Amino acid sequence: MQTEIKSNFEKSLSEGDFSSLQKEIKEKNFNKFIEQGFPTKRIEDWKFSDLNQIISTSFENLDFSKKDNQSSIDDDFVNEFEHNKIFFVNGNISKIDFSYENEEKIILNHNLELDKELNDNALLNLNNAFVSNYIKITVGKGYQFQKPLILYNYLTSDLDSCGLNMRLDINLEEDTSLNVINISNENIKNNFLNFRQKINIGKNSVLKNYSLDVNPTSNIKYSFKDIDLDKNSHLEYFILSKGSKFAKHDINCSLNNEYGSVVLNGIIDLDKKKHHEIKTLINHNEENCKSYQLIKSVLNENSKGVYQGKIYVNSKAQKTDGYQLSRALLLNENVEFNAKPELEIYADDVKCSHGSTSGNIDENSIFYLMSRGLSHAQSKRLLTNGFLNEVIEKITNEDVKSLVKKLTDIQE
Amino acid sequence: MLAIENLKAKIEGKEILKGLNLNINPGEVHAIMGPNGSGKSTLSNILSGKKGYEVNGNVTFEGENLLDLETEERAHKGIFLAFQYPLEIPGVNTNTFLKTSINAIKKARGEKELDAIEFLKLIKQKLAELKFDEKILSRQLNVGFSGGEKKKNEILQMSILNPKLSILDETDSGLDIDALRIVSEGVNSLRNKNNSFLIITHYQRLLDYIKPDFVHVLKNGQIIKSGDYELAKELEKVGYEDFN
Repeated sequence: MQTEIKSNFEKSLSEGDFSSLQKEIKEKNFNKFIEQGFPTKRIEDWKFSDLNQIISTSFENLDFSKKDNQSSIDDDFVNEFEHNKIFFVNGNISKIDFSYENEEKIILNHNLELDKELNDNALLNLNNAFVSNYIKITVGKGYQFQKPLILYNYLTSDLDSCGLNMRLDINLEEDTSLNVINISNENIKNNFLNFRQKINIGKNSVLKNYSLDVNPTSNIKYSFKDIDLDKNSHLEYFILSKGSKFAKHDINCSLNNEYGSVVLNGIIDLDKKKHHEIKTLINHNEENCKSYQLIKSVLNENSKGVYQGKIYVNSKAQKTDGYQLSRALLLNENVEFNAKPELEIYADDVKCSHGSTSGNIDENSIFYLMSRGLSHAQSKRLLTNGFLNEVIEKITNEDVKSLVKKLTDIQE
Repeated sequence: MLAIENLKAKIEGKEILKGLNLNINPGEVHAIMGPNGSGKSTLSNILSGKKGYEVNGNVTFEGENLLDLETEERAHKGIFLAFQYPLEIPGVNTNTFLKTSINAIKKARGEKELDAIEFLKLIKQKLAELKFDEKILSRQLNVGFSGGEKKKNEILQMSILNPKLSILDETDSGLDIDALRIVSEGVNSLRNKNNSFLIITHYQRLLDYIKPDFVHVLKNGQIIKSGDYELAKELEKVGYEDFN
């Protein structure tokens, strides 16, 4: 694959509109990636998901340089509520629509901001090397979005065995608020998606980010988000991980000033041979910050689920309140669930707890429901829906909550 | 309606029921009294189809072999078990559950399913009869319910499903006097010439409110004596230990 990826890189570098500095950074990142390769299970962060193996068994060859600027789809398939929208089509931003907002308060920057340092994480270097189409959304001081923003991700049906590197950054200035929904409508073919987001939440600001992976696809997806929180800011993050053949959500949150808070909840709901991972790192860098995480997984058929969650508490971060719980329901003997909860605490006045459970469905509960006339399958579905519903109920945006219930087929 | 002949049941190799005979005709109320470990709950579990027992003997319900039917088929045919310990089902709202349940039964019987409005009308009427707060509908099924609320919820389910044979497994345990009266009234309101009841209890107390037509004493996996309501009174006086 190496010779192909090198020629892909040369092609993307020559076709892209990059400054000489950007080209230099891209080359460094590319060389670093070539040295590192796709992550294997020998790397601690990837011990439960050997991406190198997954990639090599899924693709004979991956094309990282395919350009498709003709496709412009703007079918907003969420029609339950009014929203702003940005369309990614085959990795390129094809449409931006902020028609519900005061556009003077929204600054769009297309000037690519690449990482100055090389990363230990090979996929970030890969992203830096190939990303071309870039956008950074800045919400100006004091502005509260009227309607949510949906980031649609489309892949057209002709796209197959392609590697796409996407990047979208969000910067909330002081006293702002924004709800963002990431949602995909992809075809069934095989592609590798490497999505990067840098997010900054300014003082007294609120970001709600809902990441919904629902459509069944053969895609291999990696998404990395690093989110910085300033004083008295709040992040609500929700993941619905269900559709892709493989998905890994890597989320790093840093509470960099007092009274920041993070609520990060997720659902992994898998069938077939799907393999999904949620990996989180919450850095408590300053005093009086809170973090709460609840991850629930339901595994069916031959699927595999992974949750790796770490709470790091810096020695300065007194009065930290950190909580983390993972619960998994294993519906048969062929599934696998791995959890690695970690606390790393250097302050002495903190309240931190974590827990992880995994188990089978309760046969007594099944009997109870069947004695009320429900079939075995209906009872099982009601119980698993109930299990997941606890996470969905924590979504504070009511429109999104109903959308998620609809997408997961969980009744009101 | 229900005919039990020489019913024997084992669980994990231990024999619990050792040849039990019982006949229940339409409209009759039977009470089974017995000490702990006599096999009362085993009997109710087997009648409603709980797995894990090794069962021998004949049980027919309206002429059909009951032991061949799955749990949900028994519910469709009109058998209802009010659980001694109703299960807590997190994340499932009581309203959703009740509606799913009644419509599963209606569908199996080829009857028209209830829409949201018809269901709401029915449920509100039943809640009022049982003096049950409507708020329970939006609560998760039995989660955080008091002992009394859980038992009332069983009676609520029974009254909306209107079963032909209701088995009440120690429904009186854990109820205060007011709740006991309300629960009993709920049962009495369902009594008619078609509906039958099998009431399993330790104490005579419940039977003061729901007057049974027959009382049976279960000891060591067998019915050792049958009689009318007077038998319950006699038992209360003598105690199970000395009763022969």
